[in-house]
Amino acid sequence: MRLYWELAVRGFQRTVIYRSAAVSAVITNSFFGFIFSYVFIALYETRAEAGGYTLADALTFVFVTQAMIGLVEMWAWWRIAETVQSGQVATDLSRPLDFQLYWLAQDYGRAVCQLLVRSVPTLLVGMVAFGVRLPPDLAHWLALGPSLLFAVTISFAWRFCLNLTTFWWTDHRGVASISGLAAMLLAGFVVPLAMLPDAVRTPIYLMPLASMIAIPVDVFLGKLSDGRLIAALLLQGFWARAALGVGRLVLAAALRKLVVQGG
Amino acid sequence: MRINEWASLYVRLLGAQIRAQLQYRASFLLQVAGHGMITVLDFVATAVLFYRFPNLAGWSLGEVAFLFGLGGMAFGISDMVCSGFDRLSIAIQTGTFDRVLTRPVAAFTQVLASDFQLRRLGQIGQAALVLAVAIAIVDVNWTPLKLVVLLSALVSGVFIFSAIWVIGAAITFWTVQTSEVTNAFTYGGSYLVQYPMSIYADWLRHFFIFVVPLGFVSYLPSLYILGRADPLELPAALQLCSPLVALAFVIPACGAWRLGVHHYQSTGS
Repeated sequence: MRLYWELAVRGFQRTVIYRSAAVSAVITNSFFGFIFSYVFIALYETRAEAGGYTLADALTFVFVTQAMIGLVEMWAWWRIAETVQSGQVATDLSRPLDFQLYWLAQDYGRAVCQLLVRSVPTLLVGMVAFGVRLPPDLAHWLALGPSLLFAVTISFAWRFCLNLTTFWWTDHRGVASISGLAAMLLAGFVVPLAMLPDAVRTPIYLMPLASMIAIPVDVFLGKLSDGRLIAALLLQGFWARAALGVGRLVLAAALRKLVVQGG
Repeated sequence: MRINEWASLYVRLLGAQIRAQLQYRASFLLQVAGHGMITVLDFVATAVLFYRFPNLAGWSLGEVAFLFGLGGMAFGISDMVCSGFDRLSIAIQTGTFDRVLTRPVAAFTQVLASDFQLRRLGQIGQAALVLAVAIAIVDVNWTPLKLVVLLSALVSGVFIFSAIWVIGAAITFWTVQTSEVTNAFTYGGSYLVQYPMSIYADWLRHFFIFVVPLGFVSYLPSLYILGRADPLELPAALQLCSPLVALAFVIPACGAWRLGVHHYQSTGS
């Protein structure tokens, strides 16, 4: 356990040294936040509410999703794939620890760091510029921590599986395009899932990628009352566990394929 | 170097690039499909908003699709051609830019030819499709001049986005790392031009019309083509000025590039 704690600390430290990267990421995320906010402001001139979202909700949605980009690192995280390409993975696999937990621990460290240096500043920009609101009550505040933890876990498990595809296809860029697409579409990133037509929104909401973005966003917005709040957290927990399980299966299949060249 | 010599050299370097990219064929095809679908889905996301809202600042879905297609094509083409500039920081960090300077060809040409993202064809094709659908559903009184404005806006848009890549690359001669701020102007800019400029706050809009002229990529020419009144009440002549503005923006970009190459000091690694 202590070992994994140390790995998490390393993950934190490795992220925190890139200060200028954090600053410029906050600038980019905020810039997109501005564009999408103005789009919603213009749209809401025609009506007061859409799919249960008011303008204030939509603006909060925009900045919370932008703030979560760094936290869940949905795109452009290919650290494991790079170790497969370089052969470093053989060394990592021979370490006396669990390969998946080895990366998960580091990813938790990374996520905590990103939360502090990217998510919080982006949200602050939104609060100052567009009056983005914080969760409305204690229950939603309390639920936010576990909800984000599950979101990071699911996103890690998703990236873990995608990275392992490099065992079969050496080049990961094709998988990157398609998976980025799926994530953008199904996670509730671009448009609030609540604004989708009713027939598609419930199935998408129940799928694992929604647990990565849409559910934490709804928790932040205070959209989930008592029973639904607990149900949402249970759903996230279920997907987190299931996704890590799938990751283990993929890893086992990859290891059957792996041949380490000596010398 | 004469222009035809330059062109034949560029074509040969590009040919080598493209052959290399086609090596991983499955991955390449996935990327073409993926990039194309991202563009369509981006548009679907906007269209979904029209399911809940009747219009965007008075613009119908078809009119927004027109902005989207025009801006998307301009950005896609410039991204395909100019990604060598986007990757310049890697060449500077690893020291391979030193090698560029020892060859008897202008650094600009070599960087331009160092990467050509053929996979962007998917994106360009999809943006063209959205533009075609928009033209089909929006009622436009086409005149020869409107057609000229459309084509010149597309070419101007490619040059305006390309100038931003070049300026961003020139800055990396000082900063070494690609600044994410450049991405805000390029990738962010590609989103910015998808919506009518009138929705943005004054400071943002003025900046993107008069300083970094992204307003000339899609918004101003579209006002003319679609025959829409300009709520900003800018001089109507500006709607036809995209080529002049693009030219005026490319010149300082080239100057910045020259200054940057001059300033370059190897990282020594």
